[in-house]
Amino acid sequence: MQPPLCILIAEDSPADRMLLATIVGRQGYRVLTAGNGLEAIMIFARERPHMVLMDALMPVMDGFEAARRIKQMAGEELVPIIFLTSLTESEALAQCLDAGGDDFLAKPYNRVILDAKIKAMDRLRRLQATVLEQRDLIARHNEHLLNEQRVAKAVFDKVAHSGCLDAPNIRYLQSPYALFNGDLMLAAFKPSGGMHVLLGDFTGHGLPAAIGAMPLAEVFYSMTAKGYSLAEILREMNAKLKRILPVGVFCCAVMLNLSFQRRVVEVWNGGLPDGYLRRGGSGERIPLRSRHLPLGILDPSCFDDRYEIYPMEAGDRLLLLSDGVLETCNLGSECFGEERLLGVFAANQQPDLLFDEIQQALSAFRGEAQDDVSLIEVSLIEEGQLPHSPLIFSDSGQNAPLDWSIGFEFRAETLKRFNPLPYLLQLLLEVQELRAQGSVLYTVLAELYSNALEHGVMGLDSSLKRDAQGFAEYYRERRTRLANLYEGYVRFHLDLRPEGEGGRLSIRVEDSGPGFDVQRMLERHSSSEHLSGRGLKLVRQLADRCSWAPDGRSVCVEFSWPARHNPAQCPLAQE
Amino acid sequence: MAITSQPSADGQELTIFIQGRFDFGAHQEFRDAYERVNVTPKRYVVDLQGATYLDSSALGMLLLLRDHAGGERAQIRLIHCSPDVRKILSISNFEQLFHIA
Amino acid sequence: MSEHLDLGVQALLQEVMEDEYPVLLDTFLSDSEARLNALGLAHDAQDAEALRRAAHSFKGSCGNMGAPLLAELCSQLEELGRAGDLTPVPALLAQAEQEFALIRTLIESERQRY
Repeated sequence: MQPPLCILIAEDSPADRMLLATIVGRQGYRVLTAGNGLEAIMIFARERPHMVLMDALMPVMDGFEAARRIKQMAGEELVPIIFLTSLTESEALAQCLDAGGDDFLAKPYNRVILDAKIKAMDRLRRLQATVLEQRDLIARHNEHLLNEQRVAKAVFDKVAHSGCLDAPNIRYLQSPYALFNGDLMLAAFKPSGGMHVLLGDFTGHGLPAAIGAMPLAEVFYSMTAKGYSLAEILREMNAKLKRILPVGVFCCAVMLNLSFQRRVVEVWNGGLPDGYLRRGGSGERIPLRSRHLPLGILDPSCFDDRYEIYPMEAGDRLLLLSDGVLETCNLGSECFGEERLLGVFAANQQPDLLFDEIQQALSAFRGEAQDDVSLIEVSLIEEGQLPHSPLIFSDSGQNAPLDWSIGFEFRAETLKRFNPLPYLLQLLLEVQELRAQGSVLYTVLAELYSNALEHGVMGLDSSLKRDAQGFAEYYRERRTRLANLYEGYVRFHLDLRPEGEGGRLSIRVEDSGPGFDVQRMLERHSSSEHLSGRGLKLVRQLADRCSWAPDGRSVCVEFSWPARHNPAQCPLAQE
Repeated sequence: MAITSQPSADGQELTIFIQGRFDFGAHQEFRDAYERVNVTPKRYVVDLQGATYLDSSALGMLLLLRDHAGGERAQIRLIHCSPDVRKILSISNFEQLFHIA
Repeated sequence: MSEHLDLGVQALLQEVMEDEYPVLLDTFLSDSEARLNALGLAHDAQDAEALRRAAHSFKGSCGNMGAPLLAELCSQLEELGRAGDLTPVPALLAQAEQEFALIRTLIESERQRY
């Protein structure tokens, strides 16, 4: 129960004071009395009454001054002051208001009016108290929310920044609070040395928009590290978001799979504005259109993982943007829009400056910093210019088996929809001595597998890939043949043996295709720089030994390693 | 923001009219427009003639309507789409889920 | 009699104050003496502002106690104090003292009833 309302009466006339105190007391309120202003403020400071009835003219300190001081002491709390007065001149009434008076009560006193005024003022006082309470509650909630966001962001930054956004071929622009705008930018090296890049934009703002980013980033990084393909990762991300997000929350995204060795990029765009592939030489601009529904909407069975493939040359660059770029507004509420963006492309002279020019155009247009804009540029550079990223393992790598062999045969139905590479790689990386060469192994496995599948099993002609047009045709044809594949196989035979203090791994890959003239192929590719030649050349460079069966239907590569050096076991080496 | 809905005479179709900005602020109103009606329509129409703006939250709300209307089996038409609205819908490839006119 | 001391007001005060009513009457009488004294001192000192304030306060309690004529005289004194014209004050003060003497008699007889 609330304590009774406490009212201070400040009145210098003893008879009036007595009368008023009695009237107010009889109405059930607690009454305090003061004979002048100074007494009033002292009592106020001590007793904190809820309301004051204040005579204007009093000796020692008048009611105006006392009212001012009481209001000051009360601070944000509303302590209503009702002036008791027989003043009639408007100037004097204005003086009461200036001093902080909330109402007047004229002499002679009328009990009914007095009680009505006290009740009205008490309602006002409670209202103010409620408002303050709610304001403080909101402030506390907000503080709480900001704190949660800080924590969420710190955790998320650890996940998101485990990638390679700082690689020398990437430039990006993103607000530190992008996460709470629903924007997400991820990049990671693949075991084969290529790179996956994702720009995502979740529906909505705040925590609901940020919540899906974490599982998306986890899937992206863990599957990329294990060697899964773009399509597999997209499928998994879609399925996961569909499973965990409420209906109506989804993620518009562009994902890139950039291969520096093969010099191609795979692009999938679901719901983001056009990205661009810009040729370094010709300046040609190829839009990377959204062809799919965003992630998290379709059931896994309906999800469409078809992507586009473009050949790339050193100096070509890819630009991805969130709709925040196009929707950047100026003071006149005009949007930056696609046309202005394309204008910047057209005006660009030096490709290296394109990113800066877009940034400048945005700032100039908007006139202030952008906080809802995500922009990323990825260039194709020579692979040697990229830092080598070690693969990360969660186990200690002790007790690795060293003497075994195993064979797999993957047949048509499986080849259609299953990527065996991550499994093979996982298996091989159980061997600690092979971990240092994880990327090389993956690259070689990937090259051998795609050769066996595409040229062996499906009989595709790699010379098609000589130019960009043939390149697109090649991948169209690949898709069709794979969809109609009913027989054929690719076999892997892995053999691991100790050799002295070190060891040796042999990988034999065999396919059901008709084989080819090994000698002729080797001669043709020895000096070739066209698109199809790179793969095999690379395998020969990377493996310690590489040989084809004379019929061209199987290939064998070998990796050897010397005795294991374990510095932990000999911390004080002799020399 | 004003969202109203009107069932057809036979109760088979419900038309939802959007006025003004179609964004997160319209969330509750939009839901009310199809949840607080006495009919159980077979088809839905969202009339976007009066919509001045549409953002990704609005796309989310359309997905909620689709879910309410039976998900895969939902029959929803979006009509009177301005070129701007149409562009937003097409970037997200929503024509795969809705009839857009 | 009622033009000096409003019996209706007295009845109300009695109702409000109950047992305290005689104390209120005593308080009013002694306070009024002090006020009249203060008015005389203010005039002696030719302090128009002090006169105005004293008259204003006295007017208020006369109003509350149902003494309309005395309240009216206080109001005139307050006006003179505000105007700074102290010449007519002695005459008005004499009237006020006379009126108060009358009221005192009335109140004391009222007081006798308790």
